Amino acid sequence: MIEPYIELDDVSFAYERCAPVIGGLSLKLYKEQFTAITGPNGSGKTTLGKIMTGILRPQKGCVIICGRDSAGMKLGEIGQRIGYLFQNPGLQIFAPSVQEEISFALGLKGCSKEEIDSRVSRSLRDFDLTNLSDAFPFKLSRGEKQRLAIAAVLVNKPDFLILDEPTTGLDMERRRALSDILLGLKEKGIGMAVISHDRVFIDRLADRTIKMHGGEIVEDRT
Amino acid sequence: MKTGLKGLDPRSKLVLVLCLSTLGVFIQDIGILTAVLCVSIALSTASGSRLFVLIRKFRRILWLFVAIAVIQSIFAPSGRVLVSLGGIKLITAGGLYKGVAMVLRMSIVMVSATIMATSNSREIVQGLVQWKVPYEIAFMVSVAIRFLPLLTDEIKNVVTAVQLRGIELDRIPARQRVKVYSYLIMPVVSGAVIKSRELATTMETRAFRAYPKRTSYMVLTMQRIDYTVIITSLITSILTLILYIKC
Repeated sequence: MIEPYIELDDVSFAYERCAPVIGGLSLKLYKEQFTAITGPNGSGKTTLGKIMTGILRPQKGCVIICGRDSAGMKLGEIGQRIGYLFQNPGLQIFAPSVQEEISFALGLKGCSKEEIDSRVSRSLRDFDLTNLSDAFPFKLSRGEKQRLAIAAVLVNKPDFLILDEPTTGLDMERRRALSDILLGLKEKGIGMAVISHDRVFIDRLADRTIKMHGGEIVEDRT
Repeated sequence: MKTGLKGLDPRSKLVLVLCLSTLGVFIQDIGILTAVLCVSIALSTASGSRLFVLIRKFRRILWLFVAIAVIQSIFAPSGRVLVSLGGIKLITAGGLYKGVAMVLRMSIVMVSATIMATSNSREIVQGLVQWKVPYEIAFMVSVAIRFLPLLTDEIKNVVTAVQLRGIELDRIPARQRVKVYSYLIMPVVSGAVIKSRELATTMETRAFRAYPKRTSYMVLTMQRIDYTVIITSLITSILTLILYIKC
């Protein structure tokens, strides 16, 4: 029997002094599947993504990551397994250059200079950022920031990816390029959950589609 | 409808905060500073501020206060030596006294500032405008107040983003940790610059300063309690300072 990589058991969450956004939700996500999470604005998709990544901790229920209760795991520990792309890529960019943004974690994890250089240049090439390698990330366009944020997440080779609206700000050609990269990762056995409204993108990649409404799953189609 | 201190006009709150902060800055005596701090805490709580929630939120940086007291003690030694290392006076009674006074002073300023946070930025601007402060300056004050929580959010986002790259901050060596924390400055500063530019453009497109006079939908009216609070705070503060200087 295949074990789920992420499991949510009766999870409820409400922001401070607000009505619950997620109410008693249970869900299993597998590494072998590409799961798309869809639903109207305010249905709790982003909150669900943040709960799965440990950014938000549920008030009720538990989140099991790779067989361990995430309540006992630090964010850094979860980050070693799961890569997360914020809905607004500007929130996860912090280094003074594009190149440094991508290489940031590799240096701290003890990778050799040769390995860092090779992974960073491949990443820059994959996301069409080579000519921007020395650019100041905060001055990039929305689409360039999006590509940089995805590159910085993927360079760490996570086991599972949670991407919140990854195609926002990308033109058709780059959406296709991102689809190809994600398909490649899927073939390598990296699990993925993608929050998106992009029907074409979802139809091309998803094995399973979860539709949310009012903090609940209203449809789960494989 | 808000009553008592919770319903005070922002101008009354401003006078209250100025009086408490002035006492905090001028007075050197630990006993009086403690009393002023207690009064600030009582007034802040009565005005409906979320003081204790804030203290809980920032409890991790409370050790900074202890560090400030110790550093102050090292650099301003006087009186009996309490701790010394190789002939260097580390902690002295006089230095420690000054350090504690400094911490109390900072606490008074911060606690009293939470009273202002119980009014929204629009009310504060209107209060200042009705005090004949130019609208541009009043608006700048409100922007500064509104931007502070955004800066805190920005720092939190970067710390989260760093950790989500698989970095366990408490496990990396201290030297590298300092380097990681230096990354916090870049997005906060550039974010503030970018946001302020965007705000300026938005204001221009909405014809900010197009006419010399502005009318306001919101008009604040001082109540009897506001005059009572203003007069009482001013008299109490002036008397305290006179008595403190004379004694």
